[in-house]
Amino acid sequence: MAVATPTTPIEVRPTTVDAGGRRRPSALPYALLLPSVAVLVIMLGYPLVRLVTLALQEYGLRQVFGQPAPWVGLDNFRTILGEDYFWTVLWRTLAFCFANVALTMVLGVLVALLLQALGRGMRVVVSTSLIVAWGMPALTATIIWQWMFDTEYGLVNWALGRQGESWLADQLTFFMVATIIVVWMGIPFVAFTVYAALTQIPVDIVEAARLDGAGARDVFRHVALPALKPILLILTSLSIIWDFRVFTQVYVLQKAGGVTRDTNLLGVYAYQISIGQNRFDIGAAVAVVMVAITIILTLVYLRAMVRTDEEL
Amino acid sequence: MNRTRSTRWLALLATASLIVAACGDDDDDTAAGTEAPAGSETPATDAAAATDAAAATDARAATDAPATTAGAEPPAPTNAPPVTVGSGTGEGGTLRLWLNGTDTPDAVVEYAVAEFNELHPDVRVQLERQQWTGLVERLTTSLSGNEAPDIVEFGNTQAQAFEAAGAVVDLTDKAEELGADDFLQSLAEAGTYNGQLYAVPYYAGARIMIYNKALFEASGIEVPTTLEEMIAAGEQLKADNADVPNFSGIYLPGRNWHAVLSLIWENGGEIATQEGDEWVGQLDSPESIAGLEMFKDLFDRANAAPADADDSNDYLAFCAGEVGMMPAPGWKPGQILNEDDGCPEMEADIGVFAMPGAAAGMTSPVLLGGSNIAIPTNSANPELAYDLLRIMISPGYQQLMAENSLIPAIKSELDSVSGSDAAVAQATAAENSRFVPTSEFWAGVEAANILPDMLVQIAGGGDVAEAAAQADAAIEDILNNS
Repeated sequence: MAVATPTTPIEVRPTTVDAGGRRRPSALPYALLLPSVAVLVIMLGYPLVRLVTLALQEYGLRQVFGQPAPWVGLDNFRTILGEDYFWTVLWRTLAFCFANVALTMVLGVLVALLLQALGRGMRVVVSTSLIVAWGMPALTATIIWQWMFDTEYGLVNWALGRQGESWLADQLTFFMVATIIVVWMGIPFVAFTVYAALTQIPVDIVEAARLDGAGARDVFRHVALPALKPILLILTSLSIIWDFRVFTQVYVLQKAGGVTRDTNLLGVYAYQISIGQNRFDIGAAVAVVMVAITIILTLVYLRAMVRTDEEL
Repeated sequence: MNRTRSTRWLALLATASLIVAACGDDDDDTAAGTEAPAGSETPATDAAAATDAAAATDARAATDAPATTAGAEPPAPTNAPPVTVGSGTGEGGTLRLWLNGTDTPDAVVEYAVAEFNELHPDVRVQLERQQWTGLVERLTTSLSGNEAPDIVEFGNTQAQAFEAAGAVVDLTDKAEELGADDFLQSLAEAGTYNGQLYAVPYYAGARIMIYNKALFEASGIEVPTTLEEMIAAGEQLKADNADVPNFSGIYLPGRNWHAVLSLIWENGGEIATQEGDEWVGQLDSPESIAGLEMFKDLFDRANAAPADADDSNDYLAFCAGEVGMMPAPGWKPGQILNEDDGCPEMEADIGVFAMPGAAAGMTSPVLLGGSNIAIPTNSANPELAYDLLRIMISPGYQQLMAENSLIPAIKSELDSVSGSDAAVAQATAAENSRFVPTSEFWAGVEAANILPDMLVQIAGGGDVAEAAAQADAAIEDILNNS
């Protein structure tokens, strides 16, 4: 879903340009937009409204079975915000998110530069490996990585010559394994997108810079980076959204080992409260907080993006 | 570039709202439970999971909740299409029966339906087998809608939540007719909420000790008769097999809380007790602490399994000759002997016994797993459903269950248990059985992994009293719904 998002402003543009006054305003573009807007409202708007409603009600298993759901105002939010553990999980989630985004972006850009520098043959090999990593379902990937880090039969312990090292038992190494999986799956998208953007940089500009005596590092800093800035911002904000609500990787690793309480992130925590404890109301409140944080994070980046856009 | 600043902002806001909506949508899924991640708290293997790795993870999920199905066979089929059983013509309607996994053999269901069709020859009975995996989510959706089946099976730790929610019919009036006096005590407790009977006991399962006869013989060890003897035997086995890497005299990974409960109970401890309306955690009582210290002692002296693993790989370790003995559900020998990744050639080496108690001649209390059956409130044919339900708790039916190595749900048929040694040992163990706190919120304690977390901390060398107190607080939070 989110993959389609970057194209949206482009879809909007024709309408605004047409309405800009140079041509006669026409209702047709709006009529053509209507079906997709309707689908979006139904598919995305309704669940969001439902989510917020749930968060304002008392909603447990009894309500699922037909008992009335009383309105409780902001009680559910008061419950979670008043809990120390919620804040622990929140800060942990943000820290995990930013660490993962930073790693994904840096490594992704490096791989993109590698792709650019490679010859045709190796580029195909690297691209294929990236696509395999990207195309693998998160669940499958997590299970495979988890097996590599398995205490008794894991490849990692075997390779390091360690016996019985429990990677998942310790909070720090647990998140190390989770980070490896998340970053590993996040790199291909960043790498491909940045590589595609790199190929769009006019060769003559690079050559001109080279003639002026710029080294590879200078070319990257002063030529490539400014050109890449908008795309990097979009990729960063998308990565933040993805890594902020990471679920599968942590959920599966928690099942495989580790201490759940020390390794909960917001997504898994909301699931546990909702499905595990049947407190759909409190779980929804946690989810609403997640949405709010996502909006804030996204807006910060979008604002930066608008600025960049205006500078051009 | 004639776009104005404001239109650009408009476009951006639209983008932002889409991003957020996409994100919010998923969150809602999480909250409302339509998303079904791999392996929920309920057990069993998804036969459709093609890769070994995926199957292995499902098997992990399987061992997470033997409390709900301890007596069951491990592999459940994928959700099978409905099968018509018996000779009912269907003119008098159709009765939909949900059973879980392959726990109930077809022959036993056929017996029940044949009996039922004698009463109602015009009613067609349709059997729909459900996977244990994701069962709670599926029950929540189907029982709340008007497509509800007519009889459903719950894992015994799952039943309370649905009884409290009013999802199933109150059978208190019929208790006498159903023979409630004869019900297995802890299954009856699972089926009772606020003193009313909602879900009838169906069958039970209990944990037993499985041991390697060849290794016992090589070390000259007899089947232990007390807990202390058992731990000492485990220590000796570990010493005698020191040349085998990863060898466990007693294989007990840190997350196997079902087995550790036996140690807590045998030392007089409890998980939580009800005082008035409040649940009070008892894991930090001196008795429970003694049990937990016994676990730590056993873990250090006799075990080599990881502190943070569960028991889903124990059969692999057993097959590799790395296990002297291990606590396991009654179906474990079947998993050890499976032809895919088990070791059928070890059949003669597998021995079983019920976990001994502190004193000779006694057994330790075990967590009783099992199932309850009930009639959904939204059933279209509650009267017909009741007639079938009555047959399923009748001595004739329960005797057939017993002959198929399941522990029957009524005491009078306990002697009928036959078949494997494991079944007999299970029945012995089940005579001294206990249950988790009977609260509608118990499932939340399992979902939050509170007990495994505590044990991982203790196994890893953490302070026992501190870990227990922390677990108590978390359990109280959930059980008191605060």
